[in-house]
Amino acid sequence: MFPIISFTLATLLVGTLLTFAAGRWARWVALLTSVVFLGEASIMLLGFTGLPQFGPGGPGFALGESHPWISLGWLTINYTVGLDGISLVLVLLTAFLQIATVIYSWEESKRPSAWFGLVLLTCLGCLGVFVALDILLFFLFWEAVLVPMFFLIAHWGGPRRRYAALKFFIYTHVASVVMLVALFAMAFYSGAASFDFPALYAATHGLAATTQVFLALALFFGFGVKFPVVPFHTWLPDAHVEAPTGGSVLLAGLLLKLGGYGLIRWVVELLPQGISLIAPVLYVVAMVSIVWGSVVSLSQRDLKRMVAYSSINHMGIVLLAIAVHSPVGLMAAVLLMFAHGIVSGLLFMVSGSVHHTYGTRDIPSVGGITPRTPMLATMIMVGSLASLGLPALISFPAEFTALLATWDRLAYWVVIPLVLLVVTAAFYLWMMQRLLFGPSKGGPEVVHDLPFYEGAGMAILVALTVLYGILPGLLVNVIVQSPVTGPFP
Amino acid sequence: MVGVRRLEILGGVAVAGLLASLTLVLADLGFAPLAALRTLPAANVDVIPATSALFSFTSLGLVFEGIFLTAALLVALASLSRPSDEKGAAVFFGLLLLATLGMTLAAIAADLIFLLLAVEVVGISTYLLVGYPRRDPRGLEAAMKFYIVGALSTALSFFGASLLFGAYGSTNLVVLSQATGTVGYPALALAGYGLLIAGLGFKLTLVPFHAWAVDVYDGAPTDVTAFLAGGSKKVGLVAFFLLFIGPVSLVVVRPLTCVGGVCPTPFDFAPTLQLALGVVAVVTMTVGNVLALLQREMKRMLAYSSISQAGYMLLGIAVGTAPAIAGATFQVLGHVFMKSGAFLVVAAVAGLGVGPLIDDWRGLGQRRPILATAFALMLLSLAGIPLTVGFLSKFVLFSAAVEAQGYFVWLAVAGVLNSALSVFYYARVLKVMYVDPSPEQVPAPPALPLGGIGYARAAAIAIAVVAIVALGVDPQPVLGGLQSAANHFVLTGP
Repeated sequence: MFPIISFTLATLLVGTLLTFAAGRWARWVALLTSVVFLGEASIMLLGFTGLPQFGPGGPGFALGESHPWISLGWLTINYTVGLDGISLVLVLLTAFLQIATVIYSWEESKRPSAWFGLVLLTCLGCLGVFVALDILLFFLFWEAVLVPMFFLIAHWGGPRRRYAALKFFIYTHVASVVMLVALFAMAFYSGAASFDFPALYAATHGLAATTQVFLALALFFGFGVKFPVVPFHTWLPDAHVEAPTGGSVLLAGLLLKLGGYGLIRWVVELLPQGISLIAPVLYVVAMVSIVWGSVVSLSQRDLKRMVAYSSINHMGIVLLAIAVHSPVGLMAAVLLMFAHGIVSGLLFMVSGSVHHTYGTRDIPSVGGITPRTPMLATMIMVGSLASLGLPALISFPAEFTALLATWDRLAYWVVIPLVLLVVTAAFYLWMMQRLLFGPSKGGPEVVHDLPFYEGAGMAILVALTVLYGILPGLLVNVIVQSPVTGPFP
Repeated sequence: MVGVRRLEILGGVAVAGLLASLTLVLADLGFAPLAALRTLPAANVDVIPATSALFSFTSLGLVFEGIFLTAALLVALASLSRPSDEKGAAVFFGLLLLATLGMTLAAIAADLIFLLLAVEVVGISTYLLVGYPRRDPRGLEAAMKFYIVGALSTALSFFGASLLFGAYGSTNLVVLSQATGTVGYPALALAGYGLLIAGLGFKLTLVPFHAWAVDVYDGAPTDVTAFLAGGSKKVGLVAFFLLFIGPVSLVVVRPLTCVGGVCPTPFDFAPTLQLALGVVAVVTMTVGNVLALLQREMKRMLAYSSISQAGYMLLGIAVGTAPAIAGATFQVLGHVFMKSGAFLVVAAVAGLGVGPLIDDWRGLGQRRPILATAFALMLLSLAGIPLTVGFLSKFVLFSAAVEAQGYFVWLAVAGVLNSALSVFYYARVLKVMYVDPSPEQVPAPPALPLGGIGYARAAAIAIAVVAIVALGVDPQPVLGGLQSAANHFVLTGP
């Protein structure tokens, strides 16, 4: 069988290196690489026809590859990659966001070859995290994401970029090394035959309940910072506000998903008892994140900061759906991660474009932009409506299912996220009322609407928002191809 | 003209000799393509030595000999590109080889006094190496400091050895490792081990015995620093291996003999020593990293980073299992390429007229892209970024600590948090090299090939870079060998 996953990793790596070296042709190389990657992701989707059975009761992975890497007797590490429905959907998300980001930042003038190279490197790292099925490879890619994102913020960011980049790096790096030790402990305390996911799966279910709880808590810390959950969220608003637009798109669209994906793959699947026992902690953290993200969003004047806090709110719902720990809940969590990836990418793009066009992102000081920049206004509207969960746009099926799963497990507690959805709707509508409508104010009198490339980048995401909003089944049928998300009645 | 010839002839002899020795060591380690050169029969390796033996051949000892020879080889090779009018080539290469001899002897020691004498050979030749360019007052000051501290450390070590002799009636390492915790004067022995930790801790730059290292590394000629940091200081680590893996992991608690109804209190201090080493390891890596963060000069920053790396290596000894030994040895091997390589680049850059401050390296990424990339790779490896040997060696070392379970898991946590911390000072150098703009006036490079670096130095740097990446991507051939050496070492002991 053709090793499509390794091939994709290799083409993306080669594309990235070429982009770094391509000088003024960098954006074309980056675009070509993105198109090839999207093609490869589509091939994976077409070649994905369900999961093989891996062994007695173990999970299977499609398109899997495994090669020996390190073998020391006490330590056996293989290069193992593979896909199930969850990772495939996130690989698709990576491909979509990569091409949208490359197109959106087409006219980047500050050291373009480094910019596009780092964008591709970030996406390569995320792709690797989603397909890696052994601890070493997973951690290798996990770390590989940090470095380019640090430089994207530190070099292309806003006025406080140094501080923001450093804070981002400290928070996520400390979390990831703690996660690494927890993964080691999981492998050695369970006596797994190797660092491979299937070997761990066969061994970790037999761990004692207390061990599972400790490991699940340590891993939750590692993944939770990436989510981010309150109280480890404070890096996120700073990082987003200072990051360049393309960096924000990748940060919100992909990096936050690493946390959710890691929690499902390495905690929910491997430590089912542990995650059930710490579920109350997760519920509380999720509810606090939902409330905090929503309420703080309401009070923001900066458009980008508002979107950043709404990410905390949405990722709180993702965490809630994971904590519910039912097939429906996990399916909803993955769907919501995909939806949030697309929609928050779109919203960060419009924030960036508002900033370019009107010179500020301060919501009260700009108004009535619809007659002046109709395209941009339309994009803002689509993004906001999608984010607040309008039916027929992508977030609606995801949030609806997530709340349904919460109801199944927590009954009337679902009122909390439900009420906060209303608050979310309120701050988006209020923002649109102030920004889009009313008398013209702020910014220059005559402005140009979106440049072609910015509009094209957004259009890709808008099309996906509508497509998967109307036909969520296209994604759901893939996601349920996993041992934890399906099949459900 | 005579100077030129002397440097090249002497250096060539040194490099050829080191290369030949390395080949023989590899052959004795059982490296298949060199089987014809094997001088040491396999049956004589990894056997428990007699209680009167002064030295014995263990696979791990041979591995360390190979590591030391590699470090010396890199430095000798790079030194061929030194300015040809420099005085003292004979002294430099002679002392380098003498120090290397001492190191290889230490690696195969089976007797404490033999070990300490070998360490002393290394010490005396390195004191002289630091001060060999006699005109440089900074070098002389560094040599003086190094000498005084070295004398103190020697005194402590030998005093410790005498206490051990008093407690057990022998200085043979096998006798010591089997007697520990069983006979007569445990308090005396514990004091002896404590003094040895201090005395040898000076060599390995463990906190709180580290203060000399930064001044010496800073004041010494940079090629010598490369040898001190990448090579000779590891002799302390070898000594720790020989001394402590025995008592710590091979401890046999025998029934105590009661005399006249009075039974001695059982006193097994292996766990105490182990905990002490663990604490020293964590303190060393933390102090090294925190102080490295505060440095403004490149050599001092690398010196502190070297101290913190010693902490990681000591962590392997504190854990003391075969996996941890393999991990620590891999870390030592990687460190030769990362740290010696980094100092060789620093020497090259200093040769280009760049100042000692980190800020003086501004814009090097644009001016000298290849040299800057090599240095960046070494720093990324020191920081433990994936696809470098530094990442894998830490990965193996920390996973070995977790594998040993118990409180060693917390040592691993301390280790990973430290390596997270260390990223900052390395990243700062990367930022200075790649992001900050070049200074307006750039000094002209000296008249050497390859833009003022010289072929030999460029070759040494290239070897280090290739090794860092190759061992970082496919470690199995080397790491598998280290693991089997470590397994033998734990079973046979010194």
